[in-house]
Amino acid sequence: MTLLATLLLILAATLGMPLFVALGVGGLLATSMQHIDSAVLIVEMNRLATSPNLVAIPLFTLAGVTLAAGGAPQRLIRVFNAMFGWLPGGLAIVALTSCAFFTAFSGASGVTILALGGLLYPMLTGVGYRERFSLGLLTSSGSLGLLFPPSLPILLYAIVAGVSIDKLFLAALVPGVLLLIMLSGYSFHTGKGNKLPEQAFTWSALGRALREGVWDLLMPVGVVAGIISGTVTASEAAACTAAYVFLLEMVIHRNITRPRAVYRILRDTSVLVGSILIILGVAMGLTNLLIDAQVPMHLLSYLELHIDSPLQFLILLNLFLLVVGCMMDIFSAIVVVVPLLLPLATRYGIDPIHLGVIFLANLEIGYNTPPVGINLFIASQRFGKSIVTLFRASLPFLTLMLIWLLVITYIPVITLWWK
Amino acid sequence: MLAALSLLSLLLLSLAQITARNLFHNGLPIADTLSRYLVLYVAMLGAVIATEGDRHIKIDIATTLLPRLARFMHRPFQVLSGIACGLLSRAAWHFWREEWQYAATGQHWIALLEIILPLGFALLAVHFLILGLGRERRKSPR
Repeated sequence: MTLLATLLLILAATLGMPLFVALGVGGLLATSMQHIDSAVLIVEMNRLATSPNLVAIPLFTLAGVTLAAGGAPQRLIRVFNAMFGWLPGGLAIVALTSCAFFTAFSGASGVTILALGGLLYPMLTGVGYRERFSLGLLTSSGSLGLLFPPSLPILLYAIVAGVSIDKLFLAALVPGVLLLIMLSGYSFHTGKGNKLPEQAFTWSALGRALREGVWDLLMPVGVVAGIISGTVTASEAAACTAAYVFLLEMVIHRNITRPRAVYRILRDTSVLVGSILIILGVAMGLTNLLIDAQVPMHLLSYLELHIDSPLQFLILLNLFLLVVGCMMDIFSAIVVVVPLLLPLATRYGIDPIHLGVIFLANLEIGYNTPPVGINLFIASQRFGKSIVTLFRASLPFLTLMLIWLLVITYIPVITLWWK
Repeated sequence: MLAALSLLSLLLLSLAQITARNLFHNGLPIADTLSRYLVLYVAMLGAVIATEGDRHIKIDIATTLLPRLARFMHRPFQVLSGIACGLLSRAAWHFWREEWQYAATGQHWIALLEIILPLGFALLAVHFLILGLGRERRKSPR
C-alpha cells in the first residue's frame, strides 16, 4: 500500500505535478496511515522560521535578480576580457570566469545562459571559435559558479544539513577554482591549436573596464571575507549585499531607476524564493516522518550488508547522485535527498562538509545531462539548437567535469585542507 | 504586491537591525524573530504567484518525453494540487489554533504572524482550483 502510493506520487511528479504538492500529499498520506494529526507537518514547516540563516536565502536571491536585471553581465565581460582576453583561448576563459562569477550570485537558476550566453556566443563565434566548442562551453558554463559563495545551493545545503555556512564556503572554494582552471586549460589548448587571433593587452583598457566593474568584483570578496572572518553572519552579509547591489544599479550605474522595474525585481525574487522554500517547508515534514519511521536506518542496515568500505560507498554515492542530478533540479534534490543521505554518509565516516561538496558537484554535472539537464533546455531555447546537438557539444566539457568529480571525491583534502 | 512588500520590509528590517547592533551595540529584540517570519511570508506569497504563472519547480521528465500526456494531465493535476493545498491548509489551521491557544503571555504576536501558514495554503488552494476548473485562459507572457 505504502509502496503503491509512493510509486503513484513519483509518477505524478514526473508527469508535471508540482513537486511540493507531491511531497505534501506524501506527508498527508503518511500521517493518516500512522494515525497522527497532520498538523505535525506544519509544525516542521513552522520550524523553518527558527533557522537563523534562512533570511540569507531571499536576500542573496534579491541581489542576484537585481544584478541580472541591471548591467552586471556586460560589466563583468568587459573586466574579464581586459584581464584574460590576451591569452590564447582568452575569450573562452573570459566566458568561463564571467559565467562562474555571475552564477555565484544568481544561484544557478539558468539565468547565466540567458544573460551571458546571448552576449558571449556571437563574440566567440565572431573571433573564430568553432560553433560546437562555443555551444558546449556556454552550455556547461551555466552552472559553473555553483561552488562559489554566496551561491544559493551552498546556502540551502548548509541549512538542510545543519553545517556551518562559512566552513562550507571555505571548503567549496578550492574545488570550484580547480574546475575553473581545468576548463580554462582546455580552452587555452583549443585556442592555441586553432591559431585564433589574440588581442593585445593594454593597461588602459584594463583600467577603463575596472573603473566600471570594480564594484562588482569587490562584492564576493566582501561577502567571503565578512562571513569567514566572522564579522557578519550569512544573513547580515546577504542584507548588505542586497543593499549594495541596489545602490550599485540605482545610484552608481543608474540602470534601474523606475519604480516599476524595482517592483518587478521584488516580485520575481519572491516567486523564485517561494517556489524553493515551499518545497523545503513541505519536505521537512515528510522527511521527518521518514526519519521517525527509521527509513534511513533500514537503508543503512541494507547497505551495510553489501558495502563495507567508505570507498565503495563513495562510488555508489557518485553513481546515485549523477542519476539524481539527471532527474531533479538542484534545489529539490538538496531538500529531499540530503536528509536521507546524511546519516548514511556519517556512518561511513564521510565529513558532512565533504559530502556537501560532492553533492553539489554531482548536481552541477547533472545540469548538463539529459533527460532533465536544465542547462541543455535553456541553452536550446537561447541558441535555437536541438538538445542532442548541445549535449554532444558539451561532451568534452562534461568529461573534464567527471574527472574533476572523481578527483574531489576521492581526495578529500582538496575540500578539507583547512581542518 | 504583498510578496514584494514583505521582501522589501525584510531587507529594510535586516539593515535596521545591523545598524542598531553596530551603532548602539544593541539589536532590536523582536527584529530577528520578525524577519524570520517575514521569510515565511515571502515564501508563501511567492509560491502563490508562482502558481499563477505556472512556475513551480517540477521534476517533469515527461513533459519532454511524453509532452501530450503531460499536457493532458495538466488540469487534473491543478485540481489535485488544489485539494492537497486545501488539506494542508486545514492541517495548518489546526496547528495555528493550538499555537494561538497555548502561546505564552507576550508571545501572541508570534502566533498571529503564523497565520500566514493556513492562509497561504488556502490561497494556494484557491489559485490551483481556479486554474484547474476555470475557463481556459490564454497564457500570459512571463
